[in-house]
Amino acid sequence: MLLTAIIFLPLVGAIVTALMPKDRGSVARWIAAGVTAADLALVVFLALRFDVAQGMQFAEKIAWVPQFGISYHLGVDGISITMLFLSALLSLIAVVASWKMETKPTAYFAMLLLLEVGMNGVFVALDFVLFYVFWELVLVPMYFLIGTWGGPRREYASIKFFLYTLFGSVFMLVGIIALYLQTGTFDISAMADLGLPATFQWWVFAAFFLGFAVKVPVFPLHTWLPDAHVEAPTAASVLLAGIMLKMGTYGFIRIALPILPNAANQWAPFITALAAISIVYGAALAFAQTDLKKLVAYSSVSHMGFVMLGIASGTAEGLNGAVAVMFSHGVVTGMLFLIVGMVYERTHTRMIQDVSGLSNQVPVAGGLLAFASFASLGLPGLSGFVGEFLTLLGAWKSSVPAAWVVIAAIGVLLAAAYTLSMVQRVILGAPSEAVSKISDLTVREVAVLVPLVVLTLTVGLYWNSLLRFTDPVVTRIVAMLAGA
Amino acid sequence: MGYIVAIPLLPTIAFALLAPMSGRVRNKAVWVSVAAVIIALALSLVAFVQVWPGGHEGEAVYHSSAVFASIGTMDLGVGVLLDPVSAVMLVVVTLVGACVQVYSIGYMHRDARIGWYYAVLSLFTAAMLVLVLADNFLQLYMAWEVMGLCSYLLIGFWHEQVAPRKASLKAFLTTRVGDVGFALGLAVMYATAGSFDFSVVLHDFQWAPAAATTVSLLLLFGAMGKSAQVPLHVWLPDAMAGPTPASALIHAATMVAAGVFLVARALPIFEASGVALTVTMLVGVITALAGGMLAAVQHDIKKVLAYSTISQLGYMFVALGAGGIVAGFYHLVTHAFFKSLLFLGAGVIIHAAHTQDMREMGGLARKMPVTTVTFTIGSLALAGIFPFSGFWSKDEILTVLWHGEHYVVFALALAAAFVTAVYVARLWFRVFTGPEQSELKEAHIEMLVPMGVLAAISAVIGFGSPYFAQFLGHEGEWPAAPIALTSTAVAGLGLALGWWAYGRRTKVLNTRPLKQRAGFVYGALTMKLYFDITYDFFIVRGYGLLADALAVFDTTVVDGIVNGAGAVWRSGAHVGALIDRYVIDGAVNGTATLVRAAGARVRRIQVGRIQAYQGLMVGAIVLLMLWLVVKGA
Repeated sequence: MLLTAIIFLPLVGAIVTALMPKDRGSVARWIAAGVTAADLALVVFLALRFDVAQGMQFAEKIAWVPQFGISYHLGVDGISITMLFLSALLSLIAVVASWKMETKPTAYFAMLLLLEVGMNGVFVALDFVLFYVFWELVLVPMYFLIGTWGGPRREYASIKFFLYTLFGSVFMLVGIIALYLQTGTFDISAMADLGLPATFQWWVFAAFFLGFAVKVPVFPLHTWLPDAHVEAPTAASVLLAGIMLKMGTYGFIRIALPILPNAANQWAPFITALAAISIVYGAALAFAQTDLKKLVAYSSVSHMGFVMLGIASGTAEGLNGAVAVMFSHGVVTGMLFLIVGMVYERTHTRMIQDVSGLSNQVPVAGGLLAFASFASLGLPGLSGFVGEFLTLLGAWKSSVPAAWVVIAAIGVLLAAAYTLSMVQRVILGAPSEAVSKISDLTVREVAVLVPLVVLTLTVGLYWNSLLRFTDPVVTRIVAMLAGA
Repeated sequence: MGYIVAIPLLPTIAFALLAPMSGRVRNKAVWVSVAAVIIALALSLVAFVQVWPGGHEGEAVYHSSAVFASIGTMDLGVGVLLDPVSAVMLVVVTLVGACVQVYSIGYMHRDARIGWYYAVLSLFTAAMLVLVLADNFLQLYMAWEVMGLCSYLLIGFWHEQVAPRKASLKAFLTTRVGDVGFALGLAVMYATAGSFDFSVVLHDFQWAPAAATTVSLLLLFGAMGKSAQVPLHVWLPDAMAGPTPASALIHAATMVAAGVFLVARALPIFEASGVALTVTMLVGVITALAGGMLAAVQHDIKKVLAYSTISQLGYMFVALGAGGIVAGFYHLVTHAFFKSLLFLGAGVIIHAAHTQDMREMGGLARKMPVTTVTFTIGSLALAGIFPFSGFWSKDEILTVLWHGEHYVVFALALAAAFVTAVYVARLWFRVFTGPEQSELKEAHIEMLVPMGVLAAISAVIGFGSPYFAQFLGHEGEWPAAPIALTSTAVAGLGLALGWWAYGRRTKVLNTRPLKQRAGFVYGALTMKLYFDITYDFFIVRGYGLLADALAVFDTTVVDGIVNGAGAVWRSGAHVGALIDRYVIDGAVNGTATLVRAAGARVRRIQVGRIQAYQGLMVGAIVLLMLWLVVKGA
């Protein structure tokens, strides 16, 4: 019941806030904060009672449509609990960061809560139909968040986001149906490591690949991301980058690898190549941007390339690293989007040439942005390094061509180039006109960022704080891949 | 001996205390940092005494470690390894660190961000201590990167000015070029030997020559970035834009020597390769010579010292490449003391003369006796004059080269020693003799005492030369006359030439004919041998153009395909909308009316697209369900 509560508590909150009179925004935000905080408390309670040595835990299974083998099946293992925690935390942060929302606040907070339902659901669903429902559910509130509360080009961006990711989902649906026809069940955990025919695996993997790769996004399927990020309100950007991108890579780890291990091995070189290209391509594009949000958006393409690199390696190092990048990117990119948003609220510009000298004018904002930047470029001791380094180790250890690993490693240098050239212009120097009159972060804003700072340091200094959850799961997946 | 852990921990705590403070409070709390490094120095001296008399090469006197990451059956740890090498490094780092921090009280006292300066110094000291105490290469790499951050922060300390800002970026990125090699080297090491631990990688594991060559060359590449070896040296002269005491600590004595330390630690892998040793030696000798020549044409006193550092680090690589771990490591130690002394002296000189340009200096000897004496000791040590420390370590390096029968490299190293003596004399005579060009005043006591300490060490430490070798577990010898006399003669000749060109104040200083005669070489040297300009043109600007081109490619081609597909879909959706209106609307009338009512006229097409998709999806699911029901029945 705990998992059900975690998923549907925000739904209750969403219904309540949606039904409230439109002028009760200040009540709606307190409800949203209370619900997301309670949800986070439940997840923490779950994590404390979670036994890392065991596999799927807190399972709930109720027959739903027994004729078709569809069940309401939930459960968490070390990887899903990691992502669930991130989802619950960032949801709370998104609510608090949107405290000053004045446009249709009741609907806005309802959408944020509905989004959390879908995100939490994706990470705990163990039935394909359920998984698909949550997967698609996420699109609806995000579509409205961008389309209603977004920037000037919000219509184009939201439609593009919606259609692009739906395009991927169609292929995923085909893959799900094919798997059902082959196995006679929709149960994800029952399908793992069944030894399905190799050709069948290859084609189903292709379908899932398209579905997940759009979401990640992998080059060349990434162009929806910068548009969506630039137009989305800050909180939506945080959740989009922090959680929704991870749904794609989570899909690979939860579904594609265990169910289709043979195909995963066959596809590995191709995915490695795309991953390496995503890393350097995203980094080069981030370097060319003049808009802070676009820069962070393209850096996401680069970072998610490391996740794919680790997944394609099929090694314990690579897969642990992949989850570590997922977690760290969620935390660090969350910080980046939040701070950029806070600066934007004050300066009304995101153009790099208009913003400079933050560290002198607003030392707290400048310092935290610098901290997040160094975490993002993979400085050891902060969380970004953990996954980047482990995925490189794993990729080198695996049988993928070494040239791609070298290209990926160059991505680490390029990350420093785009991040630090941003730091040079935005944080350092004398304050520009737009910056010269702004005030530093408020207590609420700092409170939003502090948990993320703490997580960045904790994971970066003591890797096992994260790896103790992921490693047992990864070990099982690696065994499946090795056996295929 | 658990107190060893406290040595890196103390500066870490100092940083953790200072970093979150507000600027005003932090400026008053700098003593936290100074106290931490002085206690760390005291503990380091205790550790050194406990390791004494050493003698067992590679044998740890104290070792403890803790796991911070477990992957499968593999544990990655952070450790504290006290052996003769790390004991020496502890003393060097904390001693120079303490001198620099005490000196900075005077040097930086008027700076509005002195607290932040000390916070970063503390973090740097902590990272450097974690590095020297590392028991594995991953820990070494992580500390290495954190030092890079501190270097970045200190070079760009006065970031309101353009030059420090640019220099800090250049430093971080150039060293990171090397770090990509280092990181890949770690990956190959891990895939080959299955570990990062010194005990496995350097002792138990039997390296095949090919793998050893790959790993050691990649590690060397990382070391070349950090230790500013040609062709990755370009960042160090620019790094002089930072505060001078920070240059003394980071860009002269400790961090830049970390590359040498890395190669020294990894030397068993280099030896298993063979080729890598030769490459190390070549890189070193080219750098020693190029750095020395570049130092000889600089007018900025700090840039002379920066190129000199590059050159001396090259010397250390030469020694390691020839297999002379003791000689290379000893030169690291002596250089750390005399070069940080020279930098601290340069700081005093710059404050007194209000310029960094040596052409605008002169006559300091008469007004600033302490600075003059200490700086002269440092200069003679650098030039390799008996009995000052540089003489001894340079002699050891030359001896190793001679005995290793590397005669060409030996000759080139002598040439580098000659150039060194020339630029030392050039600097000394320009600064200390001749007419005074400004009101001169000796520095405060807190600045002079550290210089005195470093000068005393530089004056006497050479006599410990053979004991140093024994401490590290090697045969210790006193210098042999032939090589000692040769190197002294070469250095003396260099000093003489320097005096002839710059010291005879009887004539007005005019080196123009000399420059004209050496036209091409001099031109190339003033253009920094074209390294910077080449990198700037091909790499920096090239990458910028490439990135811009890719951005255009991304919006026009990659996204163009998407938008094109969207346009096609949209025209198809019109057809779909017709079907929608007449077929589906008929079936689900009420819903359609609602949707139509909600949709504004402008948004019609877009709503139509969503609708079309929803129609498709609903249709697909309905068909699927039907099919399942039929099949199930």
